[in-house]
Amino acid sequence: MRDQLKASARSGLIFGVVIIFLMLFGLTKTLSDILGELFNLQSITRTGNSGGLMLLFALLAWWAGSRAAKEDKENWKAVLRNGAVSGLVIGSITALFTFLVGSLDGADIEMRTYLAQLDRPSVQFLLYGRSIIAGALMTFFIFLIFNLVGALASYILETRHAGGYLQKKYLQIKDRISGTSIVVRYKEHPQSKWIGYGILLAGTLLMPQFLGKYWNYAMGTVGIYVIMGLGLNIVVGLAGLLDLGYVAFFAIGAYTVGLLTAPAPIPIQWSFWPVLVISILLAAFAGILLGIPVLRMRGDYLAIVTLGFGEIIRVLIRSDMMSPYLGGPQGVRDIGGPSLFGISLSNERAYLYLIILGILLAILLTNFLQKSRVGRAWMAMREDETVAQAMGINTLYYKLMAFATGAAFAGFGGVLFAARNQYTGPADHTLMVSINVLSLLIVGGMGSIPGVMIGAFVLKGLPEVLRELDIYRLLVFGALLVIMMIIRPEGIWPAPRRRMELHESGLEEIPPDESLIGEEG
Amino acid sequence: MSKTLSQNTAGPINTFLIVQVIISILFIAFLTWRLYTVIDSGAYGPDTWLRFAISGLIIGSVYSVIAIGYTLVYGILFMINFAHGEVMMLGAFAGYFVFEALKSIPVEATGLSFLDSYQIVSVILAFLAGMFISAVVGYFLERIAYRPLRGAPRLIPLISAIGASIFLQNAAQVTFGPKRRTYINPASLQRSVGWRIPVAGEEVILTYTGVLTFVLSILLMVTLYILVMRTRYGRSMRAVAEDKQTAALMGINVDRVISNTFVISGVMGGAAGVMWGIHNGIIYHYVGFIPGLKAFTAAVLGGIGNIPGAMIGGMILGVVESLGPAALGIDFQLKDVIAFSILVLVLIFRPSGIIGEVLSEEKV
Repeated sequence: MRDQLKASARSGLIFGVVIIFLMLFGLTKTLSDILGELFNLQSITRTGNSGGLMLLFALLAWWAGSRAAKEDKENWKAVLRNGAVSGLVIGSITALFTFLVGSLDGADIEMRTYLAQLDRPSVQFLLYGRSIIAGALMTFFIFLIFNLVGALASYILETRHAGGYLQKKYLQIKDRISGTSIVVRYKEHPQSKWIGYGILLAGTLLMPQFLGKYWNYAMGTVGIYVIMGLGLNIVVGLAGLLDLGYVAFFAIGAYTVGLLTAPAPIPIQWSFWPVLVISILLAAFAGILLGIPVLRMRGDYLAIVTLGFGEIIRVLIRSDMMSPYLGGPQGVRDIGGPSLFGISLSNERAYLYLIILGILLAILLTNFLQKSRVGRAWMAMREDETVAQAMGINTLYYKLMAFATGAAFAGFGGVLFAARNQYTGPADHTLMVSINVLSLLIVGGMGSIPGVMIGAFVLKGLPEVLRELDIYRLLVFGALLVIMMIIRPEGIWPAPRRRMELHESGLEEIPPDESLIGEEG
Repeated sequence: MSKTLSQNTAGPINTFLIVQVIISILFIAFLTWRLYTVIDSGAYGPDTWLRFAISGLIIGSVYSVIAIGYTLVYGILFMINFAHGEVMMLGAFAGYFVFEALKSIPVEATGLSFLDSYQIVSVILAFLAGMFISAVVGYFLERIAYRPLRGAPRLIPLISAIGASIFLQNAAQVTFGPKRRTYINPASLQRSVGWRIPVAGEEVILTYTGVLTFVLSILLMVTLYILVMRTRYGRSMRAVAEDKQTAALMGINVDRVISNTFVISGVMGGAAGVMWGIHNGIIYHYVGFIPGLKAFTAAVLGGIGNIPGAMIGGMILGVVESLGPAALGIDFQLKDVIAFSILVLVLIFRPSGIIGEVLSEEKV
């Protein structure tokens, strides 16, 4: 029993600390507003939806309670006790925190200068617009009561096997659907894959017609990231070379198109299409140039060197020394766009079509490479470089090829990005671009083409939908990367081979025997 | 390590080595020529050179302290603790808050604030706070972001580390606000005040903050070196770095040693953060990133996994970065380029660093 109580107290402590951090980040306010809007709750305070806040706390407490109840599912007394302990811990921590914040605020200390989210209205909001004591007590009781409720609810659901019932129902429905003749016939049809692709393609091609200007632009950004993701997929996912300086090639593409089509700083104004080809070739060439010295290094050194290279490029394009040639911090303006048969294609919809075309080409190329001798060589290299070498694969050559192909994709992305914005500058080429592309690859599933698309939608598309969470975008993104690595390192839609690898390697590691571990020294 | 590498890469004629030598000679010749023209033009007097060297040594000592954090973790887990720069940043913020708090406490006896009345105590408190907060962050970083991933392919902890780095950076931005803050130092540690050394008719100021930073970082590194090399605990750390399984068989609690390594690296990071704040003055949420990268460069430069290597690497990097732009006659904005170019060059020509890395066989 003491162990159970300890475990519940510990889980309560973790929840409490996380909730305090949510308050410090100001996320409580944003989430409460969303919840309040969703359920149309009344608010007492003007700065945030206090009804939403109560609901948020209640939900969190429910969750904490059901977790605490898992310590002992058999006995309802134990369930209540564990829930109460967890509730008491969370409640007292959070109430203490709100009390402290409230009193500091009451003592006329301007906390905002140090903790940006705790300005006066926010403190009032955390106290539900009441006095300090009342607010803190309310927080305490919400957590205590809903912990108990959550614990009891999970106990009842567990004993009545409500969860099991739902699962059975779901399986039944699933069976019924997949048993329907049309689904069976579709699944058994040899061309079913192509029909699916056809529908997807038609949907994609029709989509820009129904979207407004803003969404066409947003989807275009997603598309550009899909292209870059496909490129990095070749480098990281297939060839296994971790490249953190991918933005360098993006920058090379963007600046080439900028310099060759814009009137300043270099007075050359060529038309878009030849410049597109030049940019891609130049980016690929830069990939080879960087690759020759760098590719002999082992994995994580390669990551750092490429990262360093990306930073070098960024510092160079910002610097005053290069500004007569590259435009310096102001960047390059008035970049020319594409035109076809005398019709300018410089609107969001046309760009989206161009980007979709680019994605299709990229997919075809990736697919072709992946299934050819080259792709097999890459994968062999990724698995074991020494063995691949022994099998007669010229690793340096194939690595260079992967690097160059990836760089070409990034260059293409850069061209589209710069031409669409008619501007490019140092702010477009930060390390975050590399990290974004890498992350979309990881979130989606490395080495898999559908994974790249899903990743791009999740990382670049979702933030467009959740505009309220804008300032927390990167915060959530960082946390998501960590969580993803822990619970699903293979990504949302992994390549089957990679999934197998990851689960295999988990088995290989033999944990040290517990009984042999004593004190250190 | 270097033996196996050269066996892998060297052909029968050893073309790579020849190319290396030729490129190195050309490169050195180019550097010498640039240096000669700059010195010949007389653009900088000896006082300026001394000033650059001093500031390079001071910044270099901070890099060394951060680099030790990277080296310790890399030596044990073979992973780049990408979030170490953020650990340092949080330590800098902790020190800042201590100074701010002490500034607001009045002392009756002197009529000044606590910060100005008891300056030594204040500085010690700030360092303790910075070290403590960073140690806590380091501990939880390992617990939450790295421990569940032990044994996974090496890319995965690295990505988790990148995620943690982004998270901590943005958490700091959201919590503390995006504005830049100025460290309010105690009265006798003003950033422009120091000893004046006359050099060639000019005066070079050796600031007190700089001396404090330098001396403290040397002290910290020596302490750490003794801890790792001379104590029982250090021996268990080295044993874990060598071979986790065998260390566990010898009765070492591997998880605890790894946790403690992160705590120690956090302590070093926190101290470096407070030093950075006291000496450079400006902190904000992004302040840990570039020094973190450079400190990693320093660790690689000296030979990763190697504590004296990190110290020497940091100093060299600091001095070269500081003297480099002047010596090569290029823009001072490009000093980051010099730092990263050094990294690239070292990794190409001598991947094991100046002193050589200390890594177990398992790693190679």
